[in-house]
Amino acid sequence: MKNTLKVERAILNLTQDELAQEIGVSRQTINSIETNRYVPSTLLSLKLSKLFNKPVNDFFKLEDND
Amino acid sequence: MNKQKFCEAEERRLNWLINFKLPNYWKKIGWGILVVSLALILSTKFIDGDFDLLKSILKKAMLIGLLIVTISREKIEDEFIENLRSKSFSLAFIFGVIYVLAQPVVNYIVSLILQSEKANYEDLGDFQILWFLLVVYLTAFWSLKRRNA
Repeated sequence: MKNTLKVERAILNLTQDELAQEIGVSRQTINSIETNRYVPSTLLSLKLSKLFNKPVNDFFKLEDND
Repeated sequence: MNKQKFCEAEERRLNWLINFKLPNYWKKIGWGILVVSLALILSTKFIDGDFDLLKSILKKAMLIGLLIVTISREKIEDEFIENLRSKSFSLAFIFGVIYVLAQPVVNYIVSLILQSEKANYEDLGDFQILWFLLVVYLTAFWSLKRRNA
């Protein structure tokens, strides 16, 4: 799965740390999601969706091998 | 209805047990217990006397210290940390079983080569096994955390 979290974060002009604080996780978690090392839970994805004001599918995309 | 309430209570208890963590400040207490116990064990080497009972208690204190560090919360304990914890527990469990099975054999082979007449097969002690499990868990957890820093 790939994501455009970094782009969405840039649109809102947030640092990794600020985004982490907004949704109640650590900066490490945001970094791991952005570098595709961690796939977040549905709950976290929905929190991101609420913050970005976009459906989850807009910033998380399935890849061919998923 | 009673059966349903009983099942719900069971589930609550199970969830409490699975999610149980000590507050973050316990991590320092755990390290303190570990370091003090280790220092006392090392100091018995420089003092004459029979310290078998004391050493046995201190070894248990070291394990308790490591266990406290293991089950203490991180500053921010989120789902990613939970994920790293379960990966680390799984690694520690697999390496632990391999270690318990392989280490006595390796010891036996080495003692056969060095002193074949005195060689005998001995299983690992409980301290060695638990120490190994906890150390592998913590090492795996730190390295996974650092990798994602």
